[in-house]
Amino acid sequence: MIELVDIQKSFQNKLALDGVSFTIPKGKVFGLIGPNGAGKTTLIRILNQILSPSSGSVMVQGMPLTASHVRSFGYLPEERGLYREMTVKNHLIFLAKLRGLPGKEAQANVIHWLKKFGISDWENKRIDALSKGMAQKIQFIAAVVHGPEVIILDEPLSGFDPLNIQLILDEIKTFVQQDKTVVFSTHNMQSVDELCDEVALIHQGKLLANDKVADLRSKHRNGDYKIRFRGNAVAFANALWTGFEIIETKELSENYREAVIRKRGDQSFNDVFTFLSGSLSLELIEEQIPSMQDVFVKLIAAHHHEE
Amino acid sequence: MKNSLIIAAREFLERFRSRSFNVMLVLGPLLILAFIYGYIQSKNQGVLSMRVLVADPTGLMDNRIKPIGKEGLSYAFRQEYIDIDRFKQGKEFQQYDALVEINEAIFSNKTVKVRYRQTPNVDLKVRMKFEIERRVEECLVSDTLGPQYVAVYSSIKQPLNFHFNDINDLYNKAEQDVSWLGYSLGYVMIVFLIVFGTNIARSITREKANRISEVLLASVKPFELMMGKILGVLWSSLFQLFCWIVLVGLGLWIFQEVLLEDYFNGYLKGVQMSPEEWRQLGMGGYAQVNEGISLFYNQLNYGFLIPNFILFFLSTYWVYASFFTIIGALSGDDADGQQFILPIWLLFGLSIYAGYNATLYPDSAWTSFFAIFPWTSGMVSMVKVTMGVSLSSYLLMLISWSVSMIVGAMMLVLAGRVYKNGILSYSHKLTLSLLFKWLKR
Repeated sequence: MIELVDIQKSFQNKLALDGVSFTIPKGKVFGLIGPNGAGKTTLIRILNQILSPSSGSVMVQGMPLTASHVRSFGYLPEERGLYREMTVKNHLIFLAKLRGLPGKEAQANVIHWLKKFGISDWENKRIDALSKGMAQKIQFIAAVVHGPEVIILDEPLSGFDPLNIQLILDEIKTFVQQDKTVVFSTHNMQSVDELCDEVALIHQGKLLANDKVADLRSKHRNGDYKIRFRGNAVAFANALWTGFEIIETKELSENYREAVIRKRGDQSFNDVFTFLSGSLSLELIEEQIPSMQDVFVKLIAAHHHEE
Repeated sequence: MKNSLIIAAREFLERFRSRSFNVMLVLGPLLILAFIYGYIQSKNQGVLSMRVLVADPTGLMDNRIKPIGKEGLSYAFRQEYIDIDRFKQGKEFQQYDALVEINEAIFSNKTVKVRYRQTPNVDLKVRMKFEIERRVEECLVSDTLGPQYVAVYSSIKQPLNFHFNDINDLYNKAEQDVSWLGYSLGYVMIVFLIVFGTNIARSITREKANRISEVLLASVKPFELMMGKILGVLWSSLFQLFCWIVLVGLGLWIFQEVLLEDYFNGYLKGVQMSPEEWRQLGMGGYAQVNEGISLFYNQLNYGFLIPNFILFFLSTYWVYASFFTIIGALSGDDADGQQFILPIWLLFGLSIYAGYNATLYPDSAWTSFFAIFPWTSGMVSMVKVTMGVSLSSYLLMLISWSVSMIVGAMMLVLAGRVYKNGILSYSHKLTLSLLFKWLKR
């Protein structure tokens, strides 16, 4: 468990992080989300001790963060580079050694990962001979080759092709199965929905939200339902009476429609069924849970509105 | 420290595997050897014939020195002491090209001074030495001690030292050459520092450009990364220096054994002597009279020179490396680096001037200052070490070495601050105020 306590960081006169506090649970995928310039990368650099906070502290299992903790982290920065003139194998062994692995273990791990990603044949090739996709795989391997317990990925999917994105997502799932902690900073809300157990939303250096993804989405429900039915549109509108508002309708085929409705007042899912089942042939009623994309946009907009 | 060593090893291997490094590994010594060979050959220049006046106040050698060949040398004798100015200006001496003075003092000081108007060619020098040396022992010993002592004297004799000097320049030219050689060594040191110092700055700029710095900084502290870089480049420079020393040494040996063999074992044409007899006569062949060979093979104390070269290279590298690190860390892009490298070039220029100054005025106040000033002390020390220093002067040089090491360490602390702040700054506008901000934090 990693705990960030009242982290503040300023660069010259600019406040990049303003009293950010949250806890990253062990063995989960923790999403760090926020628009560009929100302070995510600064926070990640603080976690990696590349930057020191101006005030506040980072605790790991109740102890202040130390260099030996950081050594057991894996880090894939947003601005990631490679030594283009080195061979794939030498580059990865070099980085694994810097993370504290002895030479033989570093070599064994590198061979394991290259095999796992199907690029063993390229181990003695210079990095500048690799395709972009392969270079991306190497960058990811470099972050995890030393078997870290905490893996910090800053925008790991940016610039990756769809195949590599799936590869990375699958690996992240495997890490969690191994009870490893993954801190995952991204703009890709679809992957947050798919992967993250919990998120922290940062905007303009401030923590706007910190919750489980499911809870956050649930909290931001609008009371919208998707209905698919056979029957007359007028009958549908009449059946809803004043309890629900029709947001949109579309005709899928003759006498077959789909609509989105929003409840008024404190109606429940059961009320929808009760209102409609008598006059229409219902095929689907589904509550519209907002995606993380919706939650993200809503929270940021609300913050701007408050300001 | 372990991480610094891992980084240093990578830096070293990167250079070791680069084509330019390997080309220079061989090309550098070849150029130095070509220079030495050319220098030695240039010392063979000179006039091909001479009329030599032997000033022999005792009259012992009168007409006894004979040229062994028909062409080139001829001797005339005068039973008087001839002052050098008189020889230079006296009308009756204008027909002679060189003056040799011989008297009884030869036995004690073992020195024969040959003053010439125009530099004799090396072949003439060897012949003159041979003809004079051989007759001196026969005649002087026979006439002063008795003919029965000639054989005894031959077996115990030591060779005479022949000093060839221009009548218009009686200073010891060989010593000047030594000091210029020290200057050249200092120059080589500066070239090494420029090449490898630029390597440090470029390596940092490149890592910033390809964004690998952040990957590294997640594993190592900025100071460790900086030290690794400095150490790695130092290792590669020392490795190259070591290879240069070995290859130049090997080249000098090959010169001696093959290319310049005649200089070391050369015998005069028309003289029937075995190598043993030649040696007994104290003749080292052309090697003794070619100033180039004398300089590189006899005068230089390599056992003292090479360790000192490495010692002063280390201190000077230490001082300059921090500067190059600061420049690399400061640079937002390559153009920035080029602008900020100007102050270092000025310091290198000052260093080269300091070496030149030390060559001309080894004991001046400025030379003393430059010998202590950390950015010039390496160069000045090389000139002084090559010329030869007393123990007290050497101790002073070691103190200046220590000063350089301390200043270098202080500079590294400042460089560490700039590096820490600058390493993750990309494409920024470089200003002096930014530099001071980074230095303060």
